Order: sequence, then structure tokens, then C-alpha cells
Amino acid sequence: MSTALRDILRNPTVAELELVARYAGLKVDARRERLFEAFALTGLPGRRDENWRWSDFKSAVTALDAPKTPPAHDPLARGGVATLRFSPSGFAAPSALPAGVRLVTREDVQAMGGAEDVPLGALAAALSGTVQVEVSAEAPVHLHMVFQGPGAIHAARIAFLLRPGTELHVSESHLGGAAFSAALIEFTLQAGARLNRTIYQRGGAGEVQAITALIEQDAGAESVQTVLAFGAKVSRIETRLVHRETGSKATLNAAYLAGKGFHADITTHVRHGAPACTTRQQTKGAVLDGGRGVFRGKFLVPRTSGQQTDASMQHNALLLEEGAEVFAKPELEILADDVQCAHGNTSGALDGTQLFYLRQRGIPLVQARAMLTEAHIAQALEGAGEHEDALRTEASRWLAP
Amino acid sequence: MDCCGGMDEHDATCTEVKVKDGVDAGTVAAAKRLESENYSAGFITDIEMDFAPKGLSEDTVRFISARKGEPDWLLEYRLDAYRRWLTMEEPVWARVNYPKIDYQAYYYYAAPKDSAKYKSIDEVPQEILDTYAKLGIPLREAEVLLGVEGAAETAATAREKPRIAVDAVFDSVSVATTFREELKKAGVIFMSISEAVHEYPELVKKYLGTVVPATDNFFATLNAAVFSDGTFVYVPKGVRCPMELSTYFRMNAESTGQFERTLIIADEAAYVSYLEGCTAPMRDENQLHAAVVELVALDDAEIKYSTVQNWWPGDENGKGGIYNFVTKRGDCRGARSKISWTQVETGSAITWKYPSCILRGDDSVGEFYSIAVTNGRQQADTGTKMIHLGKRTKSRIISKGISAGKSDNTYRGLVSVHKKAEGARNFTQCDSLLIGDKCGAHTVPYIENRRADAQLEHEATTTKLSEDQLFYVRQRGIGEEQAVALLVNGFVREVLQELPMEFAVEAQKLLEVSLEGSVG
Repeated sequence: MSTALRDILRNPTVAELELVARYAGLKVDARRERLFEAFALTGLPGRRDENWRWSDFKSAVTALDAPKTPPAHDPLARGGVATLRFSPSGFAAPSALPAGVRLVTREDVQAMGGAEDVPLGALAAALSGTVQVEVSAEAPVHLHMVFQGPGAIHAARIAFLLRPGTELHVSESHLGGAAFSAALIEFTLQAGARLNRTIYQRGGAGEVQAITALIEQDAGAESVQTVLAFGAKVSRIETRLVHRETGSKATLNAAYLAGKGFHADITTHVRHGAPACTTRQQTKGAVLDGGRGVFRGKFLVPRTSGQQTDASMQHNALLLEEGAEVFAKPELEILADDVQCAHGNTSGALDGTQLFYLRQRGIPLVQARAMLTEAHIAQALEGAGEHEDALRTEASRWLAP
Repeated sequence: MDCCGGMDEHDATCTEVKVKDGVDAGTVAAAKRLESENYSAGFITDIEMDFAPKGLSEDTVRFISARKGEPDWLLEYRLDAYRRWLTMEEPVWARVNYPKIDYQAYYYYAAPKDSAKYKSIDEVPQEILDTYAKLGIPLREAEVLLGVEGAAETAATAREKPRIAVDAVFDSVSVATTFREELKKAGVIFMSISEAVHEYPELVKKYLGTVVPATDNFFATLNAAVFSDGTFVYVPKGVRCPMELSTYFRMNAESTGQFERTLIIADEAAYVSYLEGCTAPMRDENQLHAAVVELVALDDAEIKYSTVQNWWPGDENGKGGIYNFVTKRGDCRGARSKISWTQVETGSAITWKYPSCILRGDDSVGEFYSIAVTNGRQQADTGTKMIHLGKRTKSRIISKGISAGKSDNTYRGLVSVHKKAEGARNFTQCDSLLIGDKCGAHTVPYIENRRADAQLEHEATTTKLSEDQLFYVRQRGIGEEQAVALLVNGFVREVLQELPMEFAVEAQKLLEVSLEGSVG
């Protein structure tokens, strides 16, 4: 079987062959095979793949040796909040979970929808078991997840089901430690359910990370997602959201800060599959010399079902130093006429007048730059609720170490 | 599968779902009549033609080259391109969907019999002169007051009877070029490229393929192998071209591809404004059009290139129409040079076209103004590329897409700022308008910034016509179709303002025509 899959991969790299070997060592399962095949059709995606042209995983994932970089600390950790831990060596959950939360770990693989569009999500699913979490509590539930630990390959998958009217606040810290990590996180929001998702991502300069989320929302469901990403050698945080029923709302905000040798990619795909759904998206970035920021956003408004869509997408990036790179593709695909869809994209340097104003008040350049950049990205972090301060602190530490 | 997003879902089944029971047959018939009547350029000129043998092979390439009596270097250029083309694959990334093209089913050369012998306008057969006259392009200089008829009342009063020199290309050959002698007095070379190869071989050799190399892309390589005719313009140093230049492309013969090649060079501090128009007869089969346009602007030079593209779009069921695969690129080679593309796209079944600017010279400027209107079953994937290489280069993109009927209209653009493009600036605005709920509007911008001191702004919106606006115009007693045309013209005003006046008037009329039958 693995020989056949190796044949699907065109000119496999050393890393891809290692992934095949890893897969071949797992228990045979038809669903696993389909998922791995979905990955193998693309392989590790690279610049020849239109959806990955700026984030070349094929070149970035070289030898799969455990990196030496010590993992980052976790700013979202909180006492009293149940924490689920994912590491290359396995999964651990506290014995006591909040009331109304049911957790099941399954070694066998579960099918996923749209695996062909997310090769690295499919890979994560093929190489790991599934953690399933059902939320049926009346009161809001708080959970924290940590993805961290030394190893060569770290694959993880968790699926949440939010029953009607429930509310989940979930925070995720993707702290690296493995040469290559791929995480797949799925959310199904039933009618009126609410999700607040906060993501903190910080990988090492030698690590490659792919964090893929699939979100499906029923009538009146609402999600607010806030990301703070520092990138890695190459990192991608991809969110694919489907408004399945009328009146669903989503807010997708992100901030990325990429320093020398770091690459941060924020990718989103939103399908307005039902009438009168709303999406608000705001991505802010700042990049230093030798860093690269990538933003890819797409709104797809299908014929008939997408009527009365109200969607807007903004991406604003600052290139703080010469040598920084920012690439963006804010895309709209509209097949319904009674819609409001807008997108905007800007990239450039900080406003010289503002910098001058601060400097003439005696504030040194680095600090002035940090203040203005923090103000620039602050808006994108407002939805993080209880985590907003922690994210802003991390951002300001990066800006003015 | 229900009819929702994605290209694969735009198929025949989707159409059948859309045509509901109870739709008034009279209305359907009236719409059909409107569509056919809309296209006034759809007539066929009955004239005896010379063809190359059908299909494409090295022999076809040699045949075309021999017909034009070309030098060996050009034949080699063509053959190299042809051999490379054989190894290439047709691009599939554009958001257009069409049956596989059989490249052996076309004639790659078609010319009116004896066309090589036309020494003066008096020798051009009356049928051809009538054809152009009917299209509003009189070829006899005495008749040319304004190059485009119908503009006289408004334009003439605003300007002092401007004249337009016309190069008329009929299928594969240029049949007449007006005002050549007068232009020559100013030092401007304006002739068909086939003639230029003989009369100015050094100039052609120096610039041909330097902006769009023969290896550029599938369609450009095909063009390099089989290009037939097109226009050559050279404006010498410091000369402001005394009149507007234009080429009018007419495809007439059945099962013919047109592969024109246009090369315009504005030497230091020169200025030229060039207009291009295109029409074709209504035929049931698809015709192929794969052109290449190269512009070179040296220091302080400016080229303004305007297109009104009105190729036969096919009927309302998507039968027939032109496949328009065009590579247009301008190279701002000199400092402070400027290239401005303006296009009004209303025709063609398939449009695949991205007029671009390479901003190589410091302080050079690139502009792209576009209105693309699609109706019926048309599919347009069009936009631009602005490649910022030089210091303080600036670009501006204004794109307006209007979709009606069951058409799809895509804006695809790239703004790329390279590492040395200090202080580059870009502003992009693309708006889409949807008329009816069976069409699609798509925006696919790529923005690559490698300079911290560059300033790039992009914004886009997609809306439908405001009902309030429509009501306001309607209650003034204006009919619904006219009201829509009025509102749409308001929406695209920015682009029309950039067109030379004669064309702006023509374009306004075209736009009105293209949108008839879209509402109600």
C-alpha cells in the first residue's frame, strides 16, 4: 500500500518519504488511507501550487530532526481552566472536565469533509487519532489547548461539537518543538451556538507549522476568532469557514509579527452557503528585515444561497524595515447579486509624520516604532476577550524587546 | 448538483434549472431578437479569399512567412516558436471554461485575393471599403474627419476636427493604412508590421519580442509562430505624433484565427495615442484570436493605448463567438516614461487578457483603466500586471466589471514591487456590478511588496444596482433599460474619461447596447 502511495507523490522529497514511512507504520484503516491519499495527491505543497505559491512547505520541510530550539512559553495558560495537551508523544487531558463537556479519544481515524482542499489538514488527520469534544453545557465553557513538545513530526486532530445555544471559549497555544507540526481543529456550531477562539502561534526558526481549522455554522451561530502569530521557518494558520444556515455570523481577526527568518501566513476561506450571513475580517501585520508576511483571504458567495451576504475583508500590513516582504491575495468570488462584499488591502511603511511627532517628544526610534505598530495591530486583538492583554503584552515585547 | 459557486457548476444543467415554467415565450423571443440586433457588426463580407491549408504545422509557418516574403531570421524566429509551442500546455488557471480547442481546425492565414498588390486605396476592393464604412471607419482620407462616425456632434465641437490615421487589418492582412505620407513628414513610421519587416528591418529586429518574448506563454508563443499582420509604429525622439493612430481589426473568413502582432515604440520624449477596435461576423463556430501587443517607451516618452473590443460574443446560448487570448505588455524602459492602457471590453465569448506595464525606468508611470461588460454566456478573465522595478515608479489601476445575463466577469491583477523599487506607489480600485442573479463577479488580486517605503492600496466592492437610484431615474420618466444604462455609465465614468474623446462617445454607445435586455 505504501508503495502505491509513494507512487502518487511526484518526485517525493526525503521528508515526504519519511511521512509515507510514518503512515505505513500505522494501523491499516480505509479512512486513513483516503486521508493520506488526499495529502499524497499534492504532497507537501509548494510554490507551484496556486494556493501555496508564497508559502513553500515542500522546500521548508527538509530533514525531520527534532529541532534544538526550546519551546516558547505559553501566555494563554490560566489556572483553573481545563487544559488539553498535545505533543508528538501523545495526548493528555485532565481527569476532571467542566460540566457539560464530554471528551472521547479515538485511535481510529474519522472522516473529514473537504480533505482535498487542505492537504496538510488531511495529513494531520491521517497520522493521528481523533479527540472529540462535545459541549452541551448551559453555562459558557472555557478550555485551553497546548500543542508543544520535542519530536520530528507532530500531528494532532481535535473535533468540537457545540450543541444548540452553547458557548465555548477555547484558547490554543501552538508553541512548536517539532520539526514539522500539522494540526487539524474542527468546530461544528449548531443553531445559536457561540464560539470564541483565540490562537497564539510561535514556532522556532527551524520549525514548520500548519494549523488548519474547519468551522461549520448553523442558523444564528456566531464565532469570533483572534490570532496572534509570530510565524516560524514557515507557518500557516488556515481557517475554512462555512455559513451553513441563515443568520450565521463570523469575525475572523488576526495579527502577525514576523522577524528575520520568520514566515507567517494567515489564510482564510469563507463560504456564504446560506442567505443573510455576515463575515467581518480584519488582518493586521508587521514585518521586519528578512521576515515575510502572507495574507490570503477568499469570500465565496454561491448563487441563490448567498443572497443578502454582508461581508468585508481588510488586510493592512506594515513593512517596518527594508528587506521585509508582504504578499497578499484578497479574493472575492461572487455569484449572487444582492450582496455587499468589500475588501481592502494596504501595505507600506509607518507614517513618517507620526514617527516624527513621537520622536520630537524624546521617544527613541525603536520605542516610537513599537508604539505605533502596537496601535496598528491592537484593533485586530480586541475580540480576544480575557486574552487580549496577554496577546498585547507578547506583541509589545516582540516590538521593543 | 444545485447551481452554486465554483466554475464546474456553471454547466448546461444549471441553465436548464434556471429556465422556469411559465416564462413568457414572447419575452424569451424578444430577448433573443434584441441580442441579435445588438450586434450591428455581425455581417459577413462576401469576398474571394486566399487561405493557407487548414491546420497548423511547420509547413503552415513556412507558408505564412513565404507569403509575406520574410527574411530568414524571421522564419527562424517563427519556427523556433512553433517547436517550443508544441511542447507547451494551454494554461488552465483563468476562470474561464470552454471546450478543448482543436488547433488543427483553423486556417492560420486568410487574405482577400490579390491583397498583396494594393498599392493605394483605389485598388482596395469596394466590398472591403464598404465593410469598414459600415463599421464607421472610412478609409478614404478625404472622408476621414473623425475616425469614428457618430462622434461628430459632441467631439468636433470640443476639438478642432482631429484626424485619425487608420491601419485596417482584414483577417490576416493589412488592407490599407491612411495618412502614411503625412505622418512620415513628422518622422512617424506607421505601417503594417509585414511592411515594416521589409522597410525597417533593423528597428523590427531590435524590438520584436523584447517585451513579450516568444517563450512567454502558450498563446504568445503560438502568435510568434503564426502572426499574420498588425501595426508597427515608431515615433522618433521628441516627436509628438500629430494625430491619433488606430488599427481596426476585422475577422471575416470562416474558421479563421487572427494572430496580429502590434509593436509600438516611442523614442525619447515622444508621444503617441493609439486606438484599437475589433469586430467580427456572427458565426456559429468559435473563432480564435491570439494577439500580441508590445509597447516600448524610452526616456520621457508616453504611449496611450486604447482598445474598444467588440468581437462577436456568441449568441445567448453561448454558440459561436471569439476566443480572445491576448498578451499585451508595455515596457517603460526609460526614465519618466508613461504607458497608459484603457480598455472597453464588451465582446468575445472568452476573454483572457492582461495588459501590463513593466515599470523599469526610474519615475516611470503605468496606468490601467478598464471596463469589462459581459452578457449572455460570456466569460471574461481580465486585469493587469504592474511590475515595479525602477525607483519612484507609480501605477494606478481602475477596473470596473459589469456582469449581466449568465456571464462571468473576473478581475485578475498583480501588483509587484521589487527590492530596488524605492518609493513605489500603487493605487488599485476594482468595482463589480451584477445585473441579475445568474451572473458572477470575481476579484483575484495579487499584491507582492518587497519594499518598506512602497505604498500600496487596494480596495474593491461588489454591489448590485441601487434600487433607490433606479427608482429615482425611472420616476423621471426614463425607461428601465435606459435607466440602467445611465446608472452604469455613471458607474464607469472614471474609465470613460480616460478614453480619447472619439472613442469615449463610441464606448458609451457600446455600453448602452451591451446592457440592453439585461433587466426585466
